[in-house]
Amino acid sequence: MSFRTGVACTAAFALVAGTVLSGSAAMAAKVSLLETGSSLLYPLFNLWVPDYQKNHEVQITTQSTGSGTGIAQAISGIAQIGASDAYMSNPQMKKDKGMLNIPLAISSQMINYNIPGLNKQHLKLSGPVLAGIYSGTVKNWDDPAIAKLNPGVKLPHNQIVPVHRTDGSGDTFIFTQYLSFSTPSWSNSAGYGTTVSWPAVQGGIGANGNPGMVNATKGTPYSIAYIGISFKNATDSANLGEAALENKDGKFVLPDAATVSAAVNQMSAKTPADERISLIFAPGPQSYPIINYEYAIVKEQQPAQTASALKAFLKWGISPTGGNASHYMNAVGFVALPKAIQELSDKQIDKIKPATG
Amino acid sequence: MALLEVDESATYAPLGRVTSNVRCVQQSLEYKFQTMKFRTWLASIAGVLPASLMAVVLFLAVYAWPAIRFNGVRFAFENTWNLGNLYADPITIAGTQIQPGAHYGILFLIVGTLLSTLLALLLAVPVGVGAAMFLAEKVDARLRTWISLFVELLAAIPSVVLGLWGYAVLIPFLAHYLFPLLTHTIGYVIPIFGGPSGSGYGLFTSSFVLAMMIVPLITATVRDALVAQPAPLRESALALGATGFETTYHVLLPNTRKVLIGATFLALGRALGETMAVLMVSGNALNYLPHNIYDPISTMAAFIVSQLDSALQDPTGMAVRTLAEIALILCIISIIVNALARLVLQLWSGYAQRPRLAV
Amino acid sequence: MTIDVASVSHQIPLSRTASASHQVRLSRRLFSAAGWIAAGSALVFLSALMVWILGVVFIRGFGALAPSLFTTVTQGNGGGLLNAIEGTAVLSLGALLLAVPFGVAAGTYVSECRFSRWASVIRFLADVFVGVPSIVLGYFGYVTMVEWLGWKFSVAAGSIILAMICLPYICRTTELALGQVSNDLREAAYALGASDRRVIMKICLPAALPGVLTGILLALAISVGETAPLLYTAGWSNYLWDGSLTHSPIGYLTYAIYTFINEPFASANALAYAAALLVTGFVLLINVVARFVLGQVRH
Repeated sequence: MSFRTGVACTAAFALVAGTVLSGSAAMAAKVSLLETGSSLLYPLFNLWVPDYQKNHEVQITTQSTGSGTGIAQAISGIAQIGASDAYMSNPQMKKDKGMLNIPLAISSQMINYNIPGLNKQHLKLSGPVLAGIYSGTVKNWDDPAIAKLNPGVKLPHNQIVPVHRTDGSGDTFIFTQYLSFSTPSWSNSAGYGTTVSWPAVQGGIGANGNPGMVNATKGTPYSIAYIGISFKNATDSANLGEAALENKDGKFVLPDAATVSAAVNQMSAKTPADERISLIFAPGPQSYPIINYEYAIVKEQQPAQTASALKAFLKWGISPTGGNASHYMNAVGFVALPKAIQELSDKQIDKIKPATG
Repeated sequence: MALLEVDESATYAPLGRVTSNVRCVQQSLEYKFQTMKFRTWLASIAGVLPASLMAVVLFLAVYAWPAIRFNGVRFAFENTWNLGNLYADPITIAGTQIQPGAHYGILFLIVGTLLSTLLALLLAVPVGVGAAMFLAEKVDARLRTWISLFVELLAAIPSVVLGLWGYAVLIPFLAHYLFPLLTHTIGYVIPIFGGPSGSGYGLFTSSFVLAMMIVPLITATVRDALVAQPAPLRESALALGATGFETTYHVLLPNTRKVLIGATFLALGRALGETMAVLMVSGNALNYLPHNIYDPISTMAAFIVSQLDSALQDPTGMAVRTLAEIALILCIISIIVNALARLVLQLWSGYAQRPRLAV
Repeated sequence: MTIDVASVSHQIPLSRTASASHQVRLSRRLFSAAGWIAAGSALVFLSALMVWILGVVFIRGFGALAPSLFTTVTQGNGGGLLNAIEGTAVLSLGALLLAVPFGVAAGTYVSECRFSRWASVIRFLADVFVGVPSIVLGYFGYVTMVEWLGWKFSVAAGSIILAMICLPYICRTTELALGQVSNDLREAAYALGASDRRVIMKICLPAALPGVLTGILLALAISVGETAPLLYTAGWSNYLWDGSLTHSPIGYLTYAIYTFINEPFASANALAYAAALLVTGFVLLINVVARFVLGQVRH
């Protein structure tokens, strides 16, 4: 190699190395947190982060990837906050010890459909009927099972297109829990989980993320989908219909602050210290059947740099004057944590410690 | 002065042979050593390429081995992709830990991949050959370069942008106009065109998008081959009274058959590996086979992307290893297809391996 | 050269001669006309598709273009694309930095020492490598670099995988470019007593430079357009690159296209189209430059 080439190479290398090192030195001062996961929590985090960063020196990146990814990346430490609509399973908790499931807010799920002419009405649907739709036994919109719940409504004779999530999703988790808790045959076959083996329904579509569900339903007449409440603005502007669901007491309710709070109040006393509990199919005449805690899945042991920043952010998030303030909750259709649950979450956040050694 | 004797009967040969054919004062053992050292050095740097490919295949094979053993041969023949009950405790079957109810079968993926690729070829080859014929014969040389470039840029468009266009524009168009039209016309005659016209996400849309990506390859190759046909051949056909079209179609085109087949194989290889565009328009079918061309499908490459985070939920890790098995199968299929393509091209002499001496 | 007239003539339906009825000639003319119309329609169809795609991308993309796109980072459901643009640049340049030396070396070796067994192996594997789906490489990168090596989402992981994707293209185009260098040049150099190293590095490569550069530009275009492998190796970040090669994710334009188009927020959709415009425009520009300015190189 000639002398000139050697000098050129060394200079280039020095330039690159200098940029890299100076870059990291400058940025070492700022802590960065990565939040990834539930597409249902994504709009809320996007409202929180800009406001939080006004007063705090921290860089928070948000991503909408699905609850499954959120849990997995929180476990492996790639993300500091794994946003998930589903709590971790027992085998997962056993395998990956030292994980915290911290409720941040309470959300609910809508059942939306796109039936030309009927989108302004709220059709009445129940768990068994939905289980039938998603397993292919209820094929058309004018099926007797649906007609029975909706006397006097002119239902079209078109094939139902059920839309489900392809990614590992907390929405799938709570939806399939509703189906399992209300319909024994579903519980014995597909069961519940962030991902299930959906029965093969001809023409059924898989979509990615809540936004994908909205778009698929919007574009497909006679389709039906389960969509998180924080996308209500989107479903409204897409003119999708919203179903009234049958709860445990046999009443048909729509998700709103009153019905969700009614369900929470029934269940909050039963919530254990690790806060992993299903709020699905809560008793009570006013209770909406599909509600859930929105979790931040966090590892107890965090690198020293990020531990305190993470704790501060999470505490702000669950505080009624911070992230749980009404203007945030109303913007995404969530309900704030009841005081008792907030205290439990607070205790869990205190468990976050810098990793020793 | 050294006399330079060059062996003129030698075609361009490995460095060693040329240097040995040139008897020159400077040839010495030291010179030979320098040559070897440089060649070895070059060869080892060049070795990074095969090493990385081998690393990928080896990694997949090793990582997927437990899944291969667990899934067996029935893996390819069943339509049951089931991750099992992820919220129950793992059970042990035949020495492997899995979630209860976990059962993996990817027939629908294999069918989806094959059907979408074949349909894409069926769409792309006639259109590509037709365009190539027109470009080679009816468009004059200057304009030809520009139009060809314009059409070839179709292949340069990133897959995700094609997926974006397909999702935002093509699917609504197909679902509202073309598909209902087809079901009400050809649909009564040919069954696979009939049936519910679907949501626009499905087999035909995926194939269409794939076809768009591979057409330029076919057009460019066939056009070049047609242009390279010797003028006397064309002239003699015309002299015998053939029309221009008959000349091209009956005389010139058959000579390009070998090149066309080689290009088709390469296009096949590209279509098999396409991920993003298909992911956004295929509908992501799970555990069922399409009944008509409008039904949703899933391809292997798109499935891996859409299922990876679900698979990460499996604490036993079997789901992720099964995805690695799918990736391995995909890798092996594309290796075979590409190898076949090269073999065809080489054997049928469309491919120059030895450059000739400049004359 | 001789043309076998007999083989030519029997491929043409000359059983009907010119002296046959006017109707027969007409049918052949009609068939030929129909044939050209079909062929022409195929070309028109392709061009129309191209116009449609470019039209959608550019029109919707232009609607979203604003100076703020280039000065602000993505924030929540809107903002700009500065972090994505910077990230794409960093990842692609990193990939080229890794791929060019090894790719050009491989292509050179395969071209100059083409009869050795190792060269045949490399050539075969390079062609095969091009066909490996990028998601497979991305998955490989995720498990080995992001998890096993503990690099997390990082520039290092992303660049290395992109480099692996570019490597076979650069090898192939380098080989083709060197193959087009006239043998006279090589023989003259050897005759003057130059060593292998001199001949290759000082004579052949400079002569093949346009072709090699074309290959590098095309590889750049491919790496700018990649999505699937980066989803699993580079992750995503809402911020500018902090200079670290590991443990820190980075943004890139194709993520914006893939993810933001799905968001139900118009500002996010606008970003997706803007990113699509930038990526497509850049890729097309590179392709045109490579073809015209540097001459055509057949793949």
